This record gives sequence, structure tokens and C-alpha cells, in this order.
Amino acid sequence: MDDNLRELQSINIDLACDYDCANCERYFQCDLPQKASFGKRGFLPKAKKNLETVKRKIIVLGGKGGVGKSMLAVNLAAALYKRGKKVCVLDQNYDVPAVPLMMGVADQKMKVGPKGLIPVEAYPGFKVVSMGLVLDESQFIIWFHDSKRVATEEFLTYVEYGDVDYMVLDIPAGTSSETVNVLKLIPDMDGSVIITIPSEVSQNVAERAVFISRQANVPVIGVVENMSMFVCPECGEPAAILQSGGGEALAKRMGIDFLGSIPANVRVSTTLDQGTPFVLNEPELEASKTVLNVADIIIRRFET
Amino acid sequence: MPEKQLLQINVDLNCDYKCERCEKFFECRDEMKWKIYGRRRMARAARTMAKIKKKVAIGGGKGGSGKSTMTANLATALAMMGKKVSVLDQDFDGSTIPKLFGTMGKKLKIGERGLVPVEGLLGIQMISLGSIQKEDEVITMFHEMRRGTTEEFLAHVDYGERDYLLVDLPPGTSSDACNLMQYIPDLHGTVIVTVPSQVSQIAARKASLLSLRADVRVLGIIENMSGYICGKCGNHFDVMQTGGGERLAHELEVPFLGRVPLHPQLSAASDAGVPFVYKYPDNLGSKAVMEIARKLDTFLDEIIEKESK
Repeated sequence: MDDNLRELQSINIDLACDYDCANCERYFQCDLPQKASFGKRGFLPKAKKNLETVKRKIIVLGGKGGVGKSMLAVNLAAALYKRGKKVCVLDQNYDVPAVPLMMGVADQKMKVGPKGLIPVEAYPGFKVVSMGLVLDESQFIIWFHDSKRVATEEFLTYVEYGDVDYMVLDIPAGTSSETVNVLKLIPDMDGSVIITIPSEVSQNVAERAVFISRQANVPVIGVVENMSMFVCPECGEPAAILQSGGGEALAKRMGIDFLGSIPANVRVSTTLDQGTPFVLNEPELEASKTVLNVADIIIRRFET
Repeated sequence: MPEKQLLQINVDLNCDYKCERCEKFFECRDEMKWKIYGRRRMARAARTMAKIKKKVAIGGGKGGSGKSTMTANLATALAMMGKKVSVLDQDFDGSTIPKLFGTMGKKLKIGERGLVPVEGLLGIQMISLGSIQKEDEVITMFHEMRRGTTEEFLAHVDYGERDYLLVDLPPGTSSDACNLMQYIPDLHGTVIVTVPSQVSQIAARKASLLSLRADVRVLGIIENMSGYICGKCGNHFDVMQTGGGERLAHELEVPFLGRVPLHPQLSAASDAGVPFVYKYPDNLGSKAVMEIARKLDTFLDEIIEKESK
């Protein structure tokens, strides 16, 4: 019986090319000449035009869920805001948007103006665009790829962003629909920040995030390690909830910069629940220092 | 033009009777939709699934709340109780089941009766895309490919007669969760894994509501990462404010299955590729998971008995 078994190489559910680049999963691997014309029609030029007032666009990638992508997106934007920049967080997570709660604007809704949707302003010059600002708490979304793509197109072409220095994009876990959509529609993304937690399981997934960033030609700014160096408040024993050092090891292995680590701290989680980014309200926190440092690295990289 | 409030993003599609790929399947009141279970591959999936006694999905909406870890450990706990368990890894982008069971090197094989699951600890069967993926391969599958893969994993796998199928769902409430609930309409229930933070409750609530919308009962809520136990002094303290899971269970009127704390041994065991309930059975976390597994098993027995009457 065992001799009859063959090793499975792939799941065969391939689709033939129908030149529908907007819906293609292999977009970044593809080198057909027809792909170039995709950039001239449809939503790509519209998105480009609408985003003209947005100077820099940075995406937070992690691959794995629950590693702190939204936490970093919100606080990185807050850190850039603290440095005097006009910022906008674009929440690409449609199923379970967390940004409105973390920014303390969960009770607000986006409005429609003459030129499109108007982002909610959490602070003057700190804008938030999220599906969570459209839905109620008890509503949930069942959207397959097409609907998500259309929603992303809508969020990129039909929102009045105004003058923004830095747009920080928060995407959901995984490397499929939402990630590919946004990387396709913003071909000139300025950089990606990879976030990971120390566990080995997370490194495997974070590597895939680095690969997809490279495939899409988005420069990787560096890696941030979250939830590291937890110390027992009773006896001071370094509590390796998740073994430390994984982020640095990942950076070395992939040949990218290590930007710092965010120690696990109950304040990080409580400030997010309260809707006040810790960077703004608790500057003495180790986490705030790390994120501010990442913001400074980004500002140096793009503005000098 | 005055500003007005945005009520919805208008991305509606018309009905083309392709029910298996429809986003509104669970809302749809058209009786035509039940016909999909007679269609070729759907019917085949139903036949394969009929040989498995108890089918449970483990979800939570939020990422990183411990869905995969809980799946691996509940599966092991059930196997330790003498059950024949299969695990289906529905997380295609970030599959971690092979890593958690230490079967990274083993590949899925294909035989005369379909795919042959990888076998691990205590005879637990595993089906995961991670078992065929190459090291530097990134999965970018949109909905159709995901549906195709789920279909393949349900219809064309030689599971045989099993007591349990545990399905590990990825974060979110769209493609993968829906595909599963469409393809296994007689799913016995979902277990929702959440962490104590407020943000996680939003996601867990949405995941529970999705399950209820699909007519799949919520078997209960597990609060994971509920405090941390120091490996040295044994003191227990909070990493996030605890109690959120229990409040949510109360609000949704579903059972609260228990709390699982963090402990250095638990994460070390996961990284080493051995489920912690097996490696450290005396750990408080392991005991909590064993207790949850026992509760689930009795609960499912009661449900099945009720249904057979």
C-alpha cells in the first residue's frame, strides 16, 4: 500500500490567465507584458491621483495574527504625529477592525462629503479611515476577495485625505486578499515595517511577510519585536513567555535592520483598550521609546 | 452639498445561483441554496464528513489569540482520552499546525483514495497546507483558491472513521470561516478562543455572531493568556486585564469553558513541537485544557444524543 503513495507537490486549483490583473493572485510573480497596461486603466491611476496629497505611505506587515500590527500602526502614526507630522491611519482590516477602538473613536462614523468619504479626526491632523467607522459593533462582514478589493479601491480613490505627511497602513493577518490588494493599488509604497513576536512559530510567518514585501518591490525598513523581555514583577525572573531575541535573529537571517523591541507590559494592552496611544500619553514607557525611535528612523530615511 | 452619515460601502452583487461561492449564503432565504449539497464535490465532502462523529471548529476572529495552540492541545487532550482525532488546518497563509506538532518534515501523500493525512503524536491525523509548502513560498490565495483548497481538504482526504475533526480557523470572519461552515453544514459547533483585552472581545463577538448566523452553535468561549504564572516563583499576575472572555460568554449567553494562563513551559513546548498537555501534564495550563476537553466531550455527547431522538 505504502509503495503506491506519492508525495503531494501542490494543490492543483490553478486558474488560467484571463488578463484580469486586478483579480490575479500571481500579480507579483508575473512578468507578462500585459501587466504593464493594468497600471494605465481602472482604479490604479485614480488611486494614484487621489493619494497625491499623501506624501509617504508605510505599511505594517506581520503575517501572523495578534503580533501587534494594529498596536504598532496606531502608535507609529502617533509617534510621527508627536514629531509634528500630519498623519493618517488606514485600517485595511475589514473583518475585525481594531484601529477605531485603539484610537478612541469607536463611537464615531465616517461622513460623506462632496468629494468622497471624510476621515474621522482623532486629534487635529491625525486622521483615521476604517471599516469600523462604518459598521456597528454587532455587525460583521462576510466578504470574499472581490468585495474586499472593491472596498480597498473605494478607500483609496473615494476618501478625501487632504494633506497628509505619513499614511500608515494596518493590514490583517495573512498574506492574501487585503495585503495583495493594497500593495497592487499603491505600487509606490515607500516602505514596510515588519512586526513579530519572539516565538519561533511567529518567525516562520514573519518571513513570509518579508518575502511578499520584496516581491511587491516595497523596501523593508526593518523589524520590530513585540512582547519581548517580560520580567516577573514579584521575583524579577525574566519571564520568557515567548523566548526573546527572535526578532533580531529574523532581521539577521533576512538581511534587514532590527529596529528595536517592545517589552510586554500590561500598560500597552490597557492603553489600547482605553483608546489612548501610549506614545502620546505615557512617554516614559519603554514601548513608547522604541516606537518613537522607529519614527525617527523613518523620518531620517525619508526626509534627509 | 451637506455632509451625511455613511451607512454602508456599496459593493453589492447580483444573484447568479453560484451558492457555494456566495457571500450572502447564510443570509439567503432562497430554498434553492440547499441544492448545492447535491452537487458533485459538495456531495462528496458530505460523504467524507459523515464518517466523522464530532466536528468542531476553533475560531476567535482575532489573530494570535491562541486558536492553533488550543486546537493542537485540545486534539492531544482528546487523543489522550482515547479518541481518534483529526486536525484540519484551515489557516492557509500562516499555517502553524505542522510546527506545533513537530511534523515539519513530513509531507502529505496521495494514494488511491485521496490525500493521506500526516500522522503525528498519538495517531493524530493532520491536514495542513504547511505540509506541502516550500520554505520560501508565500501563499497569496484569494477566495476562489481558498474555497478550492477547503473543498479538496474535505472531499478528497482519506480520513477514515474518526471520533473528532478539529478545524483550526484563521483570523477574520470571511473566506475560510464561511467556506468551512458552508461545506460542513452539520458542524457540531465552534469554540471561540479569545484573550482578555477589549480589542479581542470585538473580534470574538463578531466570530460568535458569524457562527450563529450560519446556524452553528457556539460551544463556548475560552479565555487564553489569562494571566501569567512565573516559572520561578509561581506567582500569578495579569498581562492584560482578565475577565473579558467570561463577560462575553455571559453577554452572548454561551458557556464559558475556562481560562488558560500563560506559563514559560507552554510556549517552550509549542516551539519544541510537542503539545504542552502531553509534555507537561501537571502544568496548570495543561490541566485547564484537559478540563475543557472533558467538558467539550460530554457536551457534544449530550448534543448528539438530543439530536438522535
